[in-house]
Amino acid sequence: MTVSQLSVPTRPRTWPRVAVVVGVIVAITVLTTLPALGGVNIDLGAIARNWGNGSERIGKLFPPDPSILPRTWKPLLETLEMALVGTAIAALLALPLSQWAARPTNPSRSRIVVRGVLNVIRAVPDLVYATILVAMVGVGALPGVITLVLFDLGIVVKLVSEAIDSADASYMEAGRAAGGTQTQINRVTAQPQTWPVFASQVLYSLELNVRISSILGLVGAGGLGRLIDEVRGFYRYGALSMIIIEILVVVIAIEIASNVLRKRLR
Amino acid sequence: MTVLTATRAPAITRAPSRPRRLGVRAAQLLVGAVVLASALHLDIGWSDLAQLPADLRHYLGLMFAHPDWSRLPGAFYQTWVSVSMAWVGALLGVVLSTLLGIPAAAGVGPLWVRLPLRGVFAVLRAVPEVIIAIIILTVTGLTPFTGALALAIGGIGTHGKWTYETIEAVPPGTAEAVRAAGGNLLEVARWGLWTQASPELMSLALYRFEINVRTSAILGLIGVGGVGDLLTGYTQYRQWDAVGVLIIVIVVVTMVIDGISGAIRRRIMRGARTRDVDRSS
Amino acid sequence: MDTTAHGPEAATPASGPWPIRLTDVTVRYPNGVVGLRGVSLAIEAGEMVSVVGLSGSGKSTLVRTVNGLVPVTSGTVQVGPYRVDQLRGRRLRHVRGSIGMIFQGFNLADRASVYHNVLVGRFSHTPTWKTLLGLTSREDREMVMSALDSVGMLEKVWGRAGALSGGQKQRVAIARALSQEPQVMLADEPVASLDPPTAHAVMSDLRRVNTERDLTVLVNLHLMDLARQYTTRMIGLRDGELVYDGPASSATDADFEAIYGRPIQTRDTLGQ
Repeated sequence: MTVSQLSVPTRPRTWPRVAVVVGVIVAITVLTTLPALGGVNIDLGAIARNWGNGSERIGKLFPPDPSILPRTWKPLLETLEMALVGTAIAALLALPLSQWAARPTNPSRSRIVVRGVLNVIRAVPDLVYATILVAMVGVGALPGVITLVLFDLGIVVKLVSEAIDSADASYMEAGRAAGGTQTQINRVTAQPQTWPVFASQVLYSLELNVRISSILGLVGAGGLGRLIDEVRGFYRYGALSMIIIEILVVVIAIEIASNVLRKRLR
Repeated sequence: MTVLTATRAPAITRAPSRPRRLGVRAAQLLVGAVVLASALHLDIGWSDLAQLPADLRHYLGLMFAHPDWSRLPGAFYQTWVSVSMAWVGALLGVVLSTLLGIPAAAGVGPLWVRLPLRGVFAVLRAVPEVIIAIIILTVTGLTPFTGALALAIGGIGTHGKWTYETIEAVPPGTAEAVRAAGGNLLEVARWGLWTQASPELMSLALYRFEINVRTSAILGLIGVGGVGDLLTGYTQYRQWDAVGVLIIVIVVVTMVIDGISGAIRRRIMRGARTRDVDRSS
Repeated sequence: MDTTAHGPEAATPASGPWPIRLTDVTVRYPNGVVGLRGVSLAIEAGEMVSVVGLSGSGKSTLVRTVNGLVPVTSGTVQVGPYRVDQLRGRRLRHVRGSIGMIFQGFNLADRASVYHNVLVGRFSHTPTWKTLLGLTSREDREMVMSALDSVGMLEKVWGRAGALSGGQKQRVAIARALSQEPQVMLADEPVASLDPPTAHAVMSDLRRVNTERDLTVLVNLHLMDLARQYTTRMIGLRDGELVYDGPASSATDADFEAIYGRPIQTRDTLGQ
């Protein structure tokens, strides 16, 4: 058989779609890099001009200056405490909220309201909350904890309620057939059923919280961030790098611990 | 009841006793105690807490009862600056993470390449973008470009990890088939891995942009420009009615971008799935 | 049809099985699919009745109208002293408490313990706030244990439901229904996910429930030999219409062919 005898179906043309995608990406990139429109001015010249004294300062990051360490212990403790308390409060609130936000555990329309409110909460970045809350209630740990609670609620409720939505919920029908109220069904069966997802998301939010709460102090909300702001103001780059290393060690330690815990949950 | 059960002891007395799980109990108590101790040790006065609901109501009233709509154009302009930062940062970050993430995948790069790369990702993941921005702004200055660079570099941490995890999650069958057909490493990567992993990777890239939209507002708070910069000014001068407008703009723009990006991501993933079905049939 | 004996005004019997009366019941789902077309049916208290038909014939819809899981579009459903089609909310839940149900897919919460899964059967007898706080009365605990004991699953009470085999899961599901102390037991294809020996064991359990606990049992089956062997009366459904109603043991192959609307195939019987 020769090739000409084969009836080959015409090859679907994918290149127009690829071209459109590439075109859109290029267009948005051009729009976002036009300084006249408020876009990012990719000014490589500035880097060249600032390289001299800038690189000298960055060079001062090494070696890290351990003399700052004794001053870091208290703010570090505060950072960890804020992260922990924020996660705990958020977990307590997220348990009922994620059931209210998922279809199987809340067939009524109130689900949409809960989801809407949480979408709004999630749309505001963490440090924006902190900035505003500091202006409202004053400098300290309180605005930090509230910020973390709001941030955690956003992600935990979203992820857990989505997990409830996509999981098999046939046990709901049995609870209904037995004459149970939705609350009873949620408490006795849905809660243990979603516990692993819930616990895993809470641990994840604890990891993120340590990372966030270490910088909340930059806007006055307590923890290591205040110290970062101070050493940065005095161009103490050795001290800055020491603090960064400290954050790094703590964040990675928490990440490892939470990974170990998460494996045991399964 | 049947005769059988009547002659025996009631079921409840014959039921196995509930397992105690002392370890779990102890762990629960420990966690509870640590949380409680942390809460008490934190420098939060009870009077502050009691005052909190009233404070919040007061300030929310100031912010949203009569927002100063004359600030709207400025708010939108600065939000666009932030979104630009987010886009450029996402683009740069995704390109860098893809280049670094592919060799970091098991089965692609050798161990001596993989381990250091994964170490770099772990470090970048742990450092907040704000701190990266603080460091690099000494070279690039307080400009949106600094923000974009910080987002790009910071993004490598998580995005690089996602990239190698996605590639590792590709079922080995296709890559094996290409290898069996005599494909070299590049061909394996193109036909075995890319075709399978690309929808997921494109979806993650868009998700990176969504995250960056939030982070770019934060970077503004240290002065690189955009909506965060504006917010610092308004809160410092306690222009609550302007803060209200700004929050509304942030929420609306973020939700619109999330909505569009989410819809595209769902379409990409759905397309990937139907293509799989086509292939299997 | 004689329904006067159990009008809506009749007092709740303290115990004893309930009769079930469906009068001209039609179910049309929101998507337009018709589940049942004008089905009228009278099941006496304490009967063991099978509902036979192909999948999509309306079997599942029929049993779900009895406890109101599927609302009827028209017609009446009378279960014991209650008009289920007219009940909603708290009163519907109360009636459901007296109607046990088991399912093809067992419908257990896999990650919860067997104990908690059976405790579901006590919901309608427990105030919501007590359940919410995790307060279980001694009476409820006893009920759960003896229900598990009666299906031979007492040993597994603290294990995870998901760790059980299919047959064990269905027994836990039966225990869940029994712990309700029901007057009626519904079963929707209870053995379709089980292997033949286990299927026979579960069907025997159901028959034991019917005779020893004196419950009205309504069970959906798609296997003709199980219907003949374990039930006394058979209802045949095709395309949502009642096409057969008679004794199960004497139903002929021709009767089944009429219900199925096609010749009998090997997959219509379980064997053994």
